[in-house]
Amino acid sequence: MAKVSFHHNDGNVDVLEVDPGTSLMRAAVTNGVAGIVGECGGQAMCATCHVYVRPEYLDGLPEISEDEEEMLECTADPRDEDRSRLGCQIKAGEGFDEIEVDVPASQI
Amino acid sequence: MTAEAIAARPVPTADWVTIEDLYRNPFPIYRKMRSEAPVHWVPAVNRYMVTSYEACHTVENDQEIFSADETNSLMKRAMGHSMLRKDDPEHDVDRKSYGSVLRPKAIKEHWNAIFQANHEKYLAGLKAAGPGADLIWEYAAPYAAENLRLVMGFHNATQEDMQRWSQTMINGTGNYADDPDVWAASEKSYNEVDDAIDEILPYLRKNPDSSLLSGMTSMPIPLEAIRANMKMTIGGGLNEPRDVLGVAVWALLSHPDQLAQVLADPALYPTVFEESVRWVAPIGMYPRETTRDTVLEGVQLPKGARLGVVVGAANRDPEVFEDPESFNINRPKKPHLAFGGGNHYCAGAWVAKASVSGIALPQLFAELPNLRLDPERPAVDAGWVFRGMTALPVRWDAK
Repeated sequence: MAKVSFHHNDGNVDVLEVDPGTSLMRAAVTNGVAGIVGECGGQAMCATCHVYVRPEYLDGLPEISEDEEEMLECTADPRDEDRSRLGCQIKAGEGFDEIEVDVPASQI
Repeated sequence: MTAEAIAARPVPTADWVTIEDLYRNPFPIYRKMRSEAPVHWVPAVNRYMVTSYEACHTVENDQEIFSADETNSLMKRAMGHSMLRKDDPEHDVDRKSYGSVLRPKAIKEHWNAIFQANHEKYLAGLKAAGPGADLIWEYAAPYAAENLRLVMGFHNATQEDMQRWSQTMINGTGNYADDPDVWAASEKSYNEVDDAIDEILPYLRKNPDSSLLSGMTSMPIPLEAIRANMKMTIGGGLNEPRDVLGVAVWALLSHPDQLAQVLADPALYPTVFEESVRWVAPIGMYPRETTRDTVLEGVQLPKGARLGVVVGAANRDPEVFEDPESFNINRPKKPHLAFGGGNHYCAGAWVAKASVSGIALPQLFAELPNLRLDPERPAVDAGWVFRGMTALPVRWDAK
């Protein structure tokens, strides 16, 4: 299990224990985490699972693929060159046992 | 029985619903159904209709219980077994065969210039037809059809072929009455599309371009799947941009305050697009089938239940959208379900947004001064499984 923390703008934090292989988007949608939409179900098609990864957790994450790169240019809230990722492309157990992300104010 | 199933209530029957009423205006029917239960058995439709936002959202995110691979699917008969009636992992193989053709980078690099040229061509046609012309049939339909023809790579067909193929096969997918004339027209198009694909693939192998069919030539995907997916894309990629365009124009022309706001701030056209598809989802209902006994939002469903996921109703659920029956571009942004969700999320969503809110809407209003509804001939909105404008006569001033 990996520990995933979603920090919201109002200061609330959702902390989830996530099975290996499960994406941040899927974990958030399954557990009703506010602010993560995941419209396209994880195909890097919609940019509605945008998260800002806290800097201390960036090392070890998988590279940004071409599809993810394209979608990160289509996010509702501005992209952060270092911290922006799609939650559907980050999977528990692939590069981290614990991660903390900030949820953008808007996904659409 | 599980505790959950015992606590659940049986499905209510909505025997008062008729196809005729749904076709004319489904929204009062959806309102009544939603207020009673999230799911009803509807004898006239021969399906369980799922009308609450939460229930629709649950269905589209759980393909193990709610399968897209429907038994005795009319769509499979009309168009072949496309990715829209497959679950993962089979669905995913087909979906990947579309590569990056419909994604934002390709739109920017290839398709926007083509959409712009098509817009200019059919706007000229609309202007030539003169004030009083029908915006759907003189502009929106040929514009959407010609865009789709080129995106797909049907260099051996016309936009009129695309419109005929789309409508006749869509009629087949909805041929619950088993009308032999509807099947005959649908099957004729089915064969014409297969012939067109067989003819164009060798050409595209020698003359590759940015189109879907060109991309298919280098993908490890069986011809049978290509044929079915192309037919699904003809059915799903033409009427929908046409209808969102028509509904968006009609909505703005019927709401002068919002029109004035948009004319003063053209950056609002993407918001107009999203609110239009929320308000009137071009695809109002799509099927799923339960793979086991289950409970959906507190309602019991048996294994093998044929569902209609009514996103047209979910998009007006008052639990999610305030004053949901109103067209209001200033409402708080909330995710609607018009493009579906989960693994079957519309592959053409970016193309639709680019062609409709990036090019067509802003330029129509810029090029047709004082665009307005024709006071002598009313606009007509109709349909429920597919809904849009069937007539939209408009007038404008000389520039």
